[in-house]
Amino acid sequence: MIEWLVDLVISLFLLTGVGFMFVAALGLLRMPDLPMRLHATTKAGALGGGLLMIAVGIEFFGDVAVAAKAGAVIVFLLLTAPVAAHLIGRAGYFVGVPMWPKTHKDELEGRYDHETQTLMSPPGLADKTQDQQPKG
Amino acid sequence: MLEFSIFVAYLVLGISLVLIFFRLVLGPSLPDRVVALEMLATLTVGFIAVYSLSSGVTAFLDVAMVLALTAFLAAVGFARLIAKGGTRDDD
Amino acid sequence: MIGPLASNILLALVWMGLTGNFTGTNLFIGLVLGYLILASALRDQPGFAAYAKKVPKAILFVGFFIKELILSNLKVAYDVLTPTHYMKPGVIAFPLEAKTDAEITVVANLISLTPGTLSLDVSSDRKVLYIHVMYLEGEAEVIESIRYMEYRTLEVLRSTPPD
Repeated sequence: MIEWLVDLVISLFLLTGVGFMFVAALGLLRMPDLPMRLHATTKAGALGGGLLMIAVGIEFFGDVAVAAKAGAVIVFLLLTAPVAAHLIGRAGYFVGVPMWPKTHKDELEGRYDHETQTLMSPPGLADKTQDQQPKG
Repeated sequence: MLEFSIFVAYLVLGISLVLIFFRLVLGPSLPDRVVALEMLATLTVGFIAVYSLSSGVTAFLDVAMVLALTAFLAAVGFARLIAKGGTRDDD
Repeated sequence: MIGPLASNILLALVWMGLTGNFTGTNLFIGLVLGYLILASALRDQPGFAAYAKKVPKAILFVGFFIKELILSNLKVAYDVLTPTHYMKPGVIAFPLEAKTDAEITVVANLISLTPGTLSLDVSSDRKVLYIHVMYLEGEAEVIESIRYMEYRTLEVLRSTPPD
């Protein structure tokens, strides 16, 4: 009975994890531009991998070394996915990869200086927070 | 029941692999391909998880751990290449 | 004198040694017991009192984060699987409350992992985070939810609560 229950829980994690992996892959193919593809792969990909590793952790729960490895993979996935997405998204944006034409608003446009490699904040905000500068 | 779930998992992961491969081939820009490569690494980690469940062999989990880290390093390298040396689309 | 977290881990190790049971479950029990001892016996010391308050907050925060992560994924999944695109994407500038490098890094990473938002870059003067948002129906609401997320994060990270 207990074994059947454990199998059920593992199957549940396995199938949801694989489902999110599939969503990430499909999103990667279907989304119209680079940042939106990144949306699909970072969130769904990391969660899918994490769920699969939780399934492994439950299956080998008695073996501490294996469970710890599964935990380490989850931590690495969740730590690296957003950083990699930021790096690729940023590089892609500044190199001029076209955005989806229906993109509603772009406050980042024209704020990056390729010569000095500095990124300005929007004018209104910069003035408002000017007096706080010494603290930061 | 678990055997059936593992079968389904392999099937879905296989389909996902094909979808990612399409994005890798279609592009259209280098960053898109880099995203596809990143996703491919995450998918391999998923494959390793399903394989350890189906066979009971846990040796590949070390590979999964290293892969999760090296894929990130590859993304960092590609991001630098794109920002500094890649072909530009806007001029 | 060693810090609160180190004391907690040390107490857990002592517990493991005394019970002679070196498994993950027992380490967890040791950590919980160590926390209870520190929170009750040393509550008059400011460092330990702050630690005692922070641990439940951190655990609640992890729960909150997992909830957000799953919600975000369901939203993305729904959008990927339905034929028409209901998205209204855009890049917005989010004024940062976080000041130090570590705080900005954690906040930006958590934003990337929560519903419909992906942090693209921080401005050079570190006041603004540029975020790609997938559903920009009400911009004020989006900023409000990100602001709440940031508040919860800083609450755990900082020793003094944010304003």
